[in-house]
Amino acid sequence: GNLTAKYILCALLHHAQTCIRNKGSSRKYEEACDIYVRAANMFKMAKNWSAAGNAFSQAAHLHLQMDNKLDGAINFLDAGNAFKKADPQEAVNCLNQAIEIYTDMGRFTIAAKHHISIAEIYESELLDVDKAICHYEQAADYYKGEESKSAANKCLLKVATYTAQLEQYQKAIDIYEQIGTYAMDSVLLKYGAKDHFFKAALCHFCVDMLNARLSVQRYEDMFPAFSDARECKLVKKLLDAYEEQDVDAFTDAVKDFDSISRLDQWNTTMLLRIKKQIQDDESDLR
Amino acid sequence: MSSDFEAYEQDFGTLTAEITNKIGRIPKLGGEEKTQLVLNVDKQLEEVRELMEQMDLEVRELPIQSRGMYQSRLKSYKGEMDKLEKDFKRSRIAYSDEVRNELLGEDAGSSESQRAHLLDNTEKLERSSRRLDAGYQIAVETEQVGQEILANLHTDREKIQRSRDRLRETDANLGKSSRILTGMLRRIIQNRVLVFVLGAIILITIILAIYFNRQKAFFWSTLRQCNEELD
Repeated sequence: GNLTAKYILCALLHHAQTCIRNKGSSRKYEEACDIYVRAANMFKMAKNWSAAGNAFSQAAHLHLQMDNKLDGAINFLDAGNAFKKADPQEAVNCLNQAIEIYTDMGRFTIAAKHHISIAEIYESELLDVDKAICHYEQAADYYKGEESKSAANKCLLKVATYTAQLEQYQKAIDIYEQIGTYAMDSVLLKYGAKDHFFKAALCHFCVDMLNARLSVQRYEDMFPAFSDARECKLVKKLLDAYEEQDVDAFTDAVKDFDSISRLDQWNTTMLLRIKKQIQDDESDLR
Repeated sequence: MSSDFEAYEQDFGTLTAEITNKIGRIPKLGGEEKTQLVLNVDKQLEEVRELMEQMDLEVRELPIQSRGMYQSRLKSYKGEMDKLEKDFKRSRIAYSDEVRNELLGEDAGSSESQRAHLLDNTEKLERSSRRLDAGYQIAVETEQVGQEILANLHTDREKIQRSRDRLRETDANLGKSSRILTGMLRRIIQNRVLVFVLGAIILITIILAIYFNRQKAFFWSTLRQCNEELD
C-alpha cells in the first residue's frame, strides 16, 4: 500500500521532470502540470504535507510560465494550505505569491481573505505579532476599497487588540472609537457598541486618567445607552478608585463585574496594567 | 406600733409571694382550675389591699419624725401591689404556649421552634438571592451570544448583497454576449447568402457568355455560307 504509493509518486515526478526537460510544445507543459497536481493530491492522501506543497508550487510555476495566471494562483493556494501543516514560512511565501497574482488581476476581496490567512499563521504558528498586524491592516484596507465595511471592521478589531497589547494605545483608541461610532448607528450592531467604547476607555485609561474621564463623558453624550451599561459603571468606579489610589476598591469593583460576566483575556490584561500603575504610584508616594 | 407594722410587712411579703406564684401558674391552666385560681388570687389581692390600708393607718399614728422611712416603704409596697394587679390582669387574658401547643399538637420548646423558623427564613432568602444572581448571569450571557449572532448576521448580509450584485452583473454580461452571438450568427448567414447570390450571378454570366459565343459563332458561319453562295 504505502510503498507502492511512494513508488507511483516517484515515477510521476520523474515523468513530469522529463517532460519539462524536453520542453516540447505547450502540450508538454500542460501534461507536466497535470502530473504534478496528481502527484500532489496523492501526497496529501499519504499526509506528506511538505512534498504535496512542493508539488503544488511546481505546478503553479509551470502555469505562470504558460501565462495561465488564474490556475497558477489556485495552485499556489493549494501549496499554501498544504504547507500550513508542515512549514509555516513556506506557506506564507506561497500565499504571498498568490496574493500578488490576485492583486494584479484586481481581485482584492480574495487577496484580502488571504492576507487574513497569512496573519493567522503569524498569530498562531510563527508568533510574529508585528507582521500579523501588517497583514490585518492590509486586509482591512482592501476590504474598505471593496466596500465591505463589516469584514474591514473585523480585521481592524484584531489590529486594535494587538496594538493595544503592544502599548500603541493611540492607534487602538482611534480604531475602537471609529468602530464604536459606526456600530451605534447600525440596527444590528448597536448592542455591541458598548463593548467597543469600553475597550477604548480602557486604552485611554492606560495612557492618562483625565483623558479617560473626558472620553467616557464624550461617549455618553454620543451614545446615551452607554451610560446604562454595566461596563460604563465599572469604568466610572475604576476612575474613582484610581483618583483615590485605592487598590482594594479597584479590585472589588473588578471582582464584582467578573462575578456576573467573566472578563476576557484582553480586558484582564489591560485592567492588570492599570492596577499595576496604581500600585506603583502608591509605592512611589511612600 | 412598729412591731405591728413589721408583722404587717411579713404578711405582705408572704401574700405577694403566693400571688406571684399563682399568677405565674394561671396562663398554663385552663377551664375549672383557672377560674378557681383566679378567684383565689382575687381574694388574696383583697387581703393585700386591706393590709396596705392598715399599714397606712399605722403609719399615720406614728410621730412625724419617724414617718418618713415607713412612708417610703409603704410607697414601694404600693408599687408592688399595682404591679401584681397589672400582672394578674395580663395573665388572665394571656394564653400560654402550652395551651397553644395542645391546640396545634406540636412539641414543647417554642423559643427553639421560633429560632429554627427564623434560620429557615434566612436560608430561603439566601437561596432566592443566589438564584436571582444566577438568572442575571444567564441573561447577560444570552445578551452576549445574541450580540455575536447579530454581528455574524451583519457580515453575512454584506456577503449576500455583494454576491447578488455580482450575479446581476454576470446576468447583464451574459445577456450582452448572447446578443453579440446572435448578431454574429446573423452576419454569417448574411455573408453566406451574399456568397450564394454572387455565385449564382457569376454562373449565369458564364452561361450567357457561352450562349452568346455560340450564337455569334453560328451567326458568323451562316454569314460566310451566304458569302460563298453569292460568289
